[in-house]
Amino acid sequence: MDIFESVKIAIATLGASKLRSVLTMLGIIIGNASVITIIGIGEGAQNYTLKQLESFGANQLLIFSGSNEAEGFTSIRELVLSDAEAIKNQAPAVKEVAPTIQSNLSIGYRSKRTSTSVRGATPGYLSVTNSSVSRGSFLDLNQQRQNSQVVVLGPEVARKLFENQDPLGKEIQINNIGFQVIGVMAAKGSFAGLNQDDAAYVPITTMATQLSGRRSPYGIPINSLRVSARDKQSVGAAAFQITNLLTQIHGKKDFTVMSDKSVKDTIAQVTTALSLMLAAIASISLLVGGIGIMNIMLVSVTERTQEIGLRKAIGATPTDILSQFIIEAVILSITGGLIGTGIGISGTILVGMLTPFNPTVPFTAITLAVSVSGGIGLFFGVVPARRASKLDPIVALRST
Amino acid sequence: MKTDKPEIIRLENIFKIYGSGETEVKALNNVSLIVRQGEYCSIMGPSGSGKSTAMNIIGCLDRPSSGSYYLDNVNVAQMNDTQLAHIRNKKLGFVFQQFHLLPQLSALENVSLPMVYASLPKNERLEKAAEALKRVGLGNRMENKPNQLSGGQQQRVAIARSIVNRPVVLLADEPTGALDSKTTQEVLDIFGELNASGITVIMVTHEPEVARQTERIVWFRDGEVVESNLTPDDLAQTATF
Repeated sequence: MDIFESVKIAIATLGASKLRSVLTMLGIIIGNASVITIIGIGEGAQNYTLKQLESFGANQLLIFSGSNEAEGFTSIRELVLSDAEAIKNQAPAVKEVAPTIQSNLSIGYRSKRTSTSVRGATPGYLSVTNSSVSRGSFLDLNQQRQNSQVVVLGPEVARKLFENQDPLGKEIQINNIGFQVIGVMAAKGSFAGLNQDDAAYVPITTMATQLSGRRSPYGIPINSLRVSARDKQSVGAAAFQITNLLTQIHGKKDFTVMSDKSVKDTIAQVTTALSLMLAAIASISLLVGGIGIMNIMLVSVTERTQEIGLRKAIGATPTDILSQFIIEAVILSITGGLIGTGIGISGTILVGMLTPFNPTVPFTAITLAVSVSGGIGLFFGVVPARRASKLDPIVALRST
Repeated sequence: MKTDKPEIIRLENIFKIYGSGETEVKALNNVSLIVRQGEYCSIMGPSGSGKSTAMNIIGCLDRPSSGSYYLDNVNVAQMNDTQLAHIRNKKLGFVFQQFHLLPQLSALENVSLPMVYASLPKNERLEKAAEALKRVGLGNRMENKPNQLSGGQQQRVAIARSIVNRPVVLLADEPTGALDSKTTQEVLDIFGELNASGITVIMVTHEPEVARQTERIVWFRDGEVVESNLTPDDLAQTATF
């Protein structure tokens, strides 16, 4: 008896009890739909995050103190302003540096008061972070040298303090010290969950001397050091030069240089691990679905004892009966897998329309899910099918 | 008796024993029996006499504990399940008391089922199935499902199914047990016609009126063949077996 014939018989049998077949497939349907949707959304979220990182810039490097190669916590030396200056002056592959000192401070104009992220920055900040000012001008070198009390407001802070008024030239208070507004930043949106527009920028020297007031034995400590390389190709060279230079200055490698690529790699790793974990949870429902199929197939074998007896009497071999029931289980699970995939794809597309993510339909995941469901049908179909194939035809025919 | 015809069935010293020791039951106790081509034979006996066990062994649904069984000159006594399935498919036709038609299939599909397991191509299957249905007088009911047919018609579909692979012997287990007297006669007429056309028929029955229409009656009691060659006339005289 050929396989094509067996498939036709199985489809006819399953079609004879449609509701039951659909209910049996439900577990597999839900399992597949959730696996595909989760992986699709996961990939979408990953792409979204990576795209956001583009604003970070492909030629960028991030340097922070601390390293997994450093021996102990106490021996770590903070990054200071002079480190940034040394990098700018001595690393040829580096185009610009943007050290910042950041602190959340109270800021006010007349009776209005708010709290915002005040950042001590250098003139290089604009080019390194791909930012720009929409009105007025950014901090310049003179103001840095003179510890000037000037401030550039982020658009959100400007709106909070001035509403529709023109902030340029006005004096605002930061920690009760007067600062003159010289510019307003262009809107940038949020990055990595932080609102980039809710900030105010003052010269880094002013920040160090008048606002944060922190000193270390090596100079003015900075919170963050972003560096841009001359171009995309020189990122590696820049990382190498910075590492050598800072190791020389600090006497040991107690810092980490991260490039755009290594950040992206880390994020990709994290999101992939996360969606794999979710997919693993979802695939438990595939397992449950498989058990459901086994359960119904066992019931079906009991119900169809007479049919099995008759088929055996007229010449079905044990193998014929075995394959008939396995094929039924596999058809159930693969059909369920395909329906689930359809729902999963629709779900993915729907999520794409409702969220900023752009979920991709993961074709590898689809092939995997459908073949896994087929495998589940095969695996869980074997027990009932073996039971059917071993039925004694005499007993089977006599049963009522 | 058709002594000149070739032997179709030859049972030699068949034992069928269940259990062992004190609980041992001899369902068949040294049964020997020969059925020749073209015979129309009924097997009778009280319940528990071993007639059903004998029928199961003749039908290759069961294996004897010992002894030889030559079906069409092949010893099938100790064949495995798969080999027996092929023998049942090619050499035997079954008719059961409860018809055993598959409810989701039409009459035509039910009749073609044995040929599915014989791996015949579809055209040939449908052609032969239609032919068999016409032979039992159901040429106009081929597309009907079993629940659209009367009991007699269903049994005729089952008979068509049993002859479609041209078996060497047709085995009927109480084929009229679920039928009223009128349809019983219709079904027996068909068996008569099939036998007249050369098909060997063996029928298990407990109804003397049915057995009387066959040519030869084999009587079982306590797992043994007590009479292997009664005629219908003998049955009429000694109705007290």
